[in-house]
Order: sequence, then structure tokens, then C-alpha cells
Amino acid sequence: MKVLCYSSFTFSYLNRARVLFQTVRRFHPDWETVALITDRPPPGFDFDPAREPFDRVVWADDLGVPDFAGWLFKHDVVEVCTAVKGPFIHQACASGADAVIYLDPDTALFASLAPLEALLETHDIVLTPHLIDPNDDPASIRDNDLSASRTGIFNLGFVAIRTTGEGARFARWWNDRLLDWCYDDMPQGMFVDQRWCDHVPALFDKLKVLRDPGYNVASWNLSQRTVAVGKDGAITVNGAPLRFWHFTKLGPLGDIMTRKYAGENFPVYEIWSWYKRQVAQVTDPSIPPRWWAYGSYSDGAPIDKAHRVLYRQREDLQAAFPDPFRAGGGGYRQWLERENL
Amino acid sequence: MAARAPVSEVHRAIATALDGAFYRAVNPDLDLVAVDPIHHYAAIGWREGRDPAPWFSTQSYVAAYPEVAKAGWNPLHHYLTVGRSEGRDVVRSERAEDYLLRQARRGREPAWSFEALIAADQSAADLADASEARLCDRTLAAREFDAAFYLAGNADVAKSGLDPLDHFLEVGWREARDPNARFSVKDYLETYPDIAADDINPFVHFLEVGRAEGRVGRTELGFRYEIIKRLVPLEARVAAATRAAAGVQPGTMAVLAKALTGARTGLADLHITFSHDDYTANTGGVQLCLQREGARIAALGRDHLHVFPARPWPVVRTKGQAGHLGVLLNGKPLGVFAPGTVAGALRKAAAAVAPGRRSFAIHSLLGHAADETADIVAAAGLGAGFFWLHDFASLCAGFHLLRNDVEDCAAPPPESPACGICVYGPWRARHLAEHARLFERLALTVVSPSQPTLDLWKASWSYPAASEVILPHAVLVDREPAPATPAGRPLRLAFAGMPAAHKGWELFRELVTKHDGDPRYQFLHLGGRTPGGLPLAFHKVVVTGTRPRAMQDAIERLEIDAVLIWPLCRETFSFTAFEAVAGGAAVITGPDSGNVAAFVESSGHGRVLADEAALAALLDTGEIVELARARRKPWLYDLAFSGLTVDLLESVA
Repeated sequence: MKVLCYSSFTFSYLNRARVLFQTVRRFHPDWETVALITDRPPPGFDFDPAREPFDRVVWADDLGVPDFAGWLFKHDVVEVCTAVKGPFIHQACASGADAVIYLDPDTALFASLAPLEALLETHDIVLTPHLIDPNDDPASIRDNDLSASRTGIFNLGFVAIRTTGEGARFARWWNDRLLDWCYDDMPQGMFVDQRWCDHVPALFDKLKVLRDPGYNVASWNLSQRTVAVGKDGAITVNGAPLRFWHFTKLGPLGDIMTRKYAGENFPVYEIWSWYKRQVAQVTDPSIPPRWWAYGSYSDGAPIDKAHRVLYRQREDLQAAFPDPFRAGGGGYRQWLERENL
Repeated sequence: MAARAPVSEVHRAIATALDGAFYRAVNPDLDLVAVDPIHHYAAIGWREGRDPAPWFSTQSYVAAYPEVAKAGWNPLHHYLTVGRSEGRDVVRSERAEDYLLRQARRGREPAWSFEALIAADQSAADLADASEARLCDRTLAAREFDAAFYLAGNADVAKSGLDPLDHFLEVGWREARDPNARFSVKDYLETYPDIAADDINPFVHFLEVGRAEGRVGRTELGFRYEIIKRLVPLEARVAAATRAAAGVQPGTMAVLAKALTGARTGLADLHITFSHDDYTANTGGVQLCLQREGARIAALGRDHLHVFPARPWPVVRTKGQAGHLGVLLNGKPLGVFAPGTVAGALRKAAAAVAPGRRSFAIHSLLGHAADETADIVAAAGLGAGFFWLHDFASLCAGFHLLRNDVEDCAAPPPESPACGICVYGPWRARHLAEHARLFERLALTVVSPSQPTLDLWKASWSYPAASEVILPHAVLVDREPAPATPAGRPLRLAFAGMPAAHKGWELFRELVTKHDGDPRYQFLHLGGRTPGGLPLAFHKVVVTGTRPRAMQDAIERLEIDAVLIWPLCRETFSFTAFEAVAGGAAVITGPDSGNVAAFVESSGHGRVLADEAALAALLDTGEIVELARARRKPWLYDLAFSGLTVDLLESVA
């Protein structure tokens, strides 16, 4: 099976993506790996894709999204990095690959995903739910179950599809939805690319809801998963081999949620400690923290989220300012200033 | 002018108005036991904006009359001597209300009328409500507040004489001080940001509603969490060793050659040893072994050349990686030299005499490179010798086989996921390669102090050893029955040796804490030092080359019933286990303790428990009393120590 594995990120997450793709290469050297980047390298950073642990780079602006600048401007960094996953997976169905796997940049493999490849022999779509076991205590329900109800039953840090049949149909549908409706707008029933996939069991056949505790282990499901390291060197989660971990929220917030739910299950901290060491090793200090080339106007002024929201709500503004990033005379920014917005 | 008034005059004036009790209460950060509040306020306090009494706000006075402070005039002194008669206003201290309420709650009559201090814009009803709420908080918190715990952990509060609960409720919780061992202010506020945002006392919240809502007062992470948090990547440890070694200036070949001329036999009869340090300058199991080996070599009248890394080195070196070697001849230091210098000088000196009985033993390759080591023994015309398994450095850079310093790993395959997440994993290949090179260059007889150590070593990796032999460092020799002890006294459970996590100290500490006050048990620590603060009896015991029986004698004298030897990592031998049994104690250990478990199982002197839960249950249920001396009626033993490599040389001879 020819597999294409991709991740979507900006240069702020290049360090995490490097760790991910190093682990993908270790277990699946035959997979084609693609970095989908919605960004531009920061000044002073020499980005040489040939030296990176992925096979090729696809820039978001090469995906053929109509009116790209205006479309991009409507999104914040999380929204757009999730939105571009749709067009890419849709286009990848015509790339010659038999299967396409998406992994968030802050995931890492700990074992082969061969069992997943085997599942793709009989299923066209594979999704991993945030939770595969319900919580019982109120605090865990609040943090995890209700959170998943708001943000989506499935975690879209991972999705795997066949490039034909229902997989291709899913890719086309997801592309269509994400091009127009990939916002963090929970009151409207949207949470970026993720909430849409609550519809997948209803809309598509040949879906595998992967309830293997070794996949997509993260702070939101640690309350029901126990990690162990055996004398044989195997790492298991509720007895199943650990396949991949989702290191969401690297930093104090992630640490707090991990501690809260891992408790004395110390292998969890060993795994996080390993991850932090790996990320530190491949972090390039010439990339400023939180760098995102599209986070500011052409004159360097930061773009307010409210200005993005206003732009996406007003078709007249979109028509008047097809390149809203452009600062200076006659630009969107000048208009905002004039309007005292 | 008054600003330049004699200090004694200022003191005399403010002494009439400064409220010492108030000053101490609202300034818990100050060591006001040692420093008099009047002197402090006169000299520093007013400049720091501290208030001398509930009715006087220093900052307000300075703000209202900036010329006073500008002139360097103590504001209270100014008010008392000038300001009052000029009709200047004073504003009460912001700390007054809380202080006076606390005093009132304790039934103490404040020095000033409480009502008179109520700000005009605050109704008496509001204040009464606030007062009542505080009283409720205090009553609630008092139910589970542990004053002894609070004072033990906060020496400044203990010293200040403040009421610990008042301190906690007023300022302590804001400083993340914990009210008891079961509640962590920091954990609670981090875990529940809604509480942090409300700026309410988290302990009070927990007791009032949090616990009922299912919130957790302390996230129990276990001691392993702290070890993992503090893990230093091996790369950083090597870098630190490299920096420390950078200043070492090696001696010349001529210096070493001259020093070698002082040898007992002119190096004709020579025993060369290698280890990770200078065994004459450091203490520990391997060092004691080398002391014994050195003494036995001396008794045979042979020369003993010991080679070790000049500075502690956490891993084996590779050829070409700079590192200097310290050299001891017959226990005396000759200096520090480059590895090539050691080989060169030895070659010359050894060639100058007809070779007699020569031998070598490698006790540790840490800090050495395989080729350099082989070159040094080759310089003495040697190719066959002994390789000791004091630890597992020949299997991994983590020579305790303690994955991330928290759990026995049993040396799984190097490409295993476990090695993948281990801080020692990236260095394992180097250790395997260097030792493979050593076994390739030299014909080595592997000497293991125990069967389980050899079994694991052979199962984990395959080196071309010339042969294998098991030689325990000591064996028990029957002495006599231990004196009878009275039945029914508290069981004496001890920890023997260094209070280090990998030796199982944290498990012992947890048991001591959990059973504090339990009349069934008495806890003791026998070692060189103890961390303190625990409800146990500490007895200083240090085993040295001249006092090898110190530990077993102490165990015998103190009539220890059982010793907890629960290392996180497997022991290759464990002198402590033998000393404990020799002194009449039973040994309690876990399944991953290597030769400790093997020794206990084969000798029947104690228990090998399945896991840490079983250990907790042993004490909880009281089943541990089966191990009391009164029940076991143990024997006492002597320890017959081996001569280490010398025993093998003699047996070979």
C-alpha cells in the first residue's frame, strides 16, 4: 500500500513536526511524508527542505484556493492550519497514493502503524475518538466528555483514508466544508475542522472508529488510560501497544492537564520528558516563538482576531480589499483605522 | 532639623506610638524576633512603606506630605513631634482592619477602638458580614489545618510567633504554603483556574464545596514524578564532565616513569586495576572492593597499579575522545596523565624487568576507552584478565538499568520503545560498542558477584567472554543465636545506608510518614546522613575499610527487626542485605532488587514482596510482625569477605 502521510503547521511548530516526521521515518521509511506549511520562513532562518525529515513541502498558497489572501485572512492560525487539511487531502486522492494519513505536528509515533494499514484494507475512513471509555467523576466529565461534546467526538489530530470510494468522497466533502466553514465558532456549531467529523458516521460508510487505546493517547483521555513499560521494552496503554501520542499543549497548560489525569502513572511523565528533550534538540533558535508570517499586516502590525472576523462576515470588505494584508493607502488596515475599529 | 535628630530621640518618640504586636503581625517576612520593631521601623521600615500602628499609614502620610520624606524625616516621628500640632491628617493602615478583627476574634482588646477605625464609606453591617465570613472561613479551615505541619515547613512563621492558621488564611495561601500534607495550594489553583480567577482561599473552597464537587485537594504524583522532572539529559552530564576535566593538566612521561621506579617489585609482579574513580578517596561498594583487592595484592607482595578517570565521567569514552587518567601505585597517587602516557611509561618500566606474576582486572570501564585500556594492559605484556560485573555499564550507559532513573528496565533490546524514551537510550550503543571492542581485544573472564547478575548479563547481550565465574563479595558464617527480645514491643523497621531514591529511600519515607504515630512500629535510619524532618530515629553508621562491620554491629545492637532494602534498580550483590541478616534482621525487598531478592529467597531471611502495594499492605495489616525477632528467633552471623580478583589469581595459580 502506497501511503502518503502529511502534517499541517507553521514555522512555530517546525520543531514538533521534525520530531513527528523523524518517528514516522523510523517506523515507516517507505511512506511519503509531506509538510503542509501555511507560513513563510522568518527572516534569518535558512529553511532547506532537503535537510528536513520530510520528503517534500507543500505551501498552502499552492493548493489553488481561490482568492487565497482574502481566504487566509478570514482565519486565525489554528483555523487556517486546520482548514488547509481539507484541500490537501482531497488533492492527495489524485496523487497516486493508496492511502493518506494526517497526523498533527505535535504527535509522535512509538511503534509501527502497520495495524492501521491493515485496517485500511477493509475500511475507507479511520477516525480516533477523543474518548473510548466514559468518565464517571464530575471533574473528568467536565474536562473531557463535555469538552469533546463541544469540540468534536473525534480528534482530528489524526485521520486516515483510502484515496478511493468512501475515502475519496469524505475527502471531497471535508474539502468543501473546510474551505467555507472552518472557524472556531462553537455557538454556531463549528470547531475548526473537527466538529464537522461528528457527521462522518452518518454520512459515510466503511468508517472504522478506532477504539484502540494505543492510538492518539493525549491528556484528554489519560483519565481512562494507563501506560506501562514492560521488562521486554514494550510500552503499552491499557495493555495495547502504544502507537502514537498526541502531545497537545506543550507547556504549562499541557503539564497541568497531564498531571491531573496521569497522577502517579509515571511512564506518562517519562514519555513527556522524552518528547520535550526531542523538541528541544530540534528547535531552531532563529525561529521567533509564536512566529507566523500571516499574523501581521505587510507593515508588521499584528492583526486582531476581531478584524479577521469582521472581514469574513462582510462580503463588501472582501470585495473592496482582495489583499487585506496590504498596509498603506487604500488598504483594509487604513479603512479600519478610519472607522476607528 | 528633625530629620537629623539623634537616633535615640527618634526611637524614644516613636516608641511611644509604635505597636510592636501589630508590626510583627503584618510583617511576617521580617525576622522581628531578632530585630526590634522600633529599631526596624526607624531605620528601614518606614522607607519600605511599612506601617507602625493600625492607625497610621506611612505611605499615606508620605503621599500627603512629600516634603517630610524628602527631608529624610521619619513620618511617624514627624507626626508625633510636629504634624499633630499642625493639624495634619493621618490615615489608618490598610492592614488595620484585618489585624483588629483577628485580635477581636481571639478575644483580645485592641489598643484602639475598632468602630472608630471603620472607614466612613463602609457600613458597619458590611464589616460585620466580612467579619462573620472570616470567622466562618477560620472555623472551617481549622477543622483540617495541621498547625504542626505548617510550622515544620515554614520556619519563618514558627520564628515569628504568629498564629499559623491566621498566617495561612491571611498571607500563607497566597504564597502557596500548604495547610496540611493532603492539600496543595499550588495544585488546586493550577488544576482549577476558576478558583484561581476568583481570588478565594483554595483550601476554604475545597472544604466548603470543592471536595463535594469531586475536586481533588492534591494531585498525588509520586516521587518518581519529581525524579523525572529533574532528569538531566546525559548529553548535558557529559558536557559538564568535559568542562570539569578541561582544567586538568596531565603530567609528562618522564614524571610518570620516575614515579614508577618506586614500585615494590619494580613492576615485575604487577596487578593492574581499572575503575571509575580513586578508591582511596571515595567511599562506596566498589571502592571497598578495590580496597580489599589492593590490600590482598599488597599482602602477596606484588605491585598494584590502579587507573581511573581523572574526573568523574558518566559514560565510557571512545578512542580519540580526550580524557586524562589518574594513576595510583600501591595506593599512593602518582598524578594525572594522558592515556598514551600511561601506556608508554608502563611499557618502558615493565620491559626493564623480567616479568613475574602479572595480572589485571577491570572493575569499571566508565571514563575509560576500550582501546586505551587494552593498550595499557598490553604495555605490561598482558592480554588475559578479569572483567567484573559490579554494575551493568557493559549493557547500558544507565549502568543501574534504571530507565529514566525510575524503574528497573532489565536491559530490553536496544531498539525497544523503552530504550527509545529513556535518557540513557541514545548512549547505549556506545556502551555496547566499547565493551564489544574490549572483549575483542582482551581475553576476559567475567566475574559476577551473584548468579542473577550473570544470568541477566548473559541474557541481555552476547560478548565473547573467555569464561565466567561467580564470586560473592561475602558469605555468612554462623556465629550464635541472637539474644531474645521481648514480644509485643513495636517492630523496629530500618533503612540502612544512603537515603537515595534508587536505593528505595522514598518508599521508606512514605511508610514512615504514613505510619507516623502508629504504636505498632518504630522507624530507624542507619547511615552517614539523614534528610531530617521525619519521625524516625537516626543513627550515624558509616562502613569503611577499617570499620567493615559498622552496619551489622549497629543492626545487632539496635535489635532491628527488619531492614527495608527495596532498591529501584537491581543490586549485583548488596552488602547491606548481608549486613542486615548478619546483624539478625530480616530483609524486606521487591522483585526487581536483583541479588537482594535472590539472597532472601535462597536464605529465607525475610520476604520478597510482589510490588509496592504489597509492601504497603504488609504494614497496614500488621502482618509484618511475623518478621519480628521475637517470632523469628534469628541467628547472628559474621561476614567472610572475598579477596575479589586475588581469590581468582590464587585459584588460577
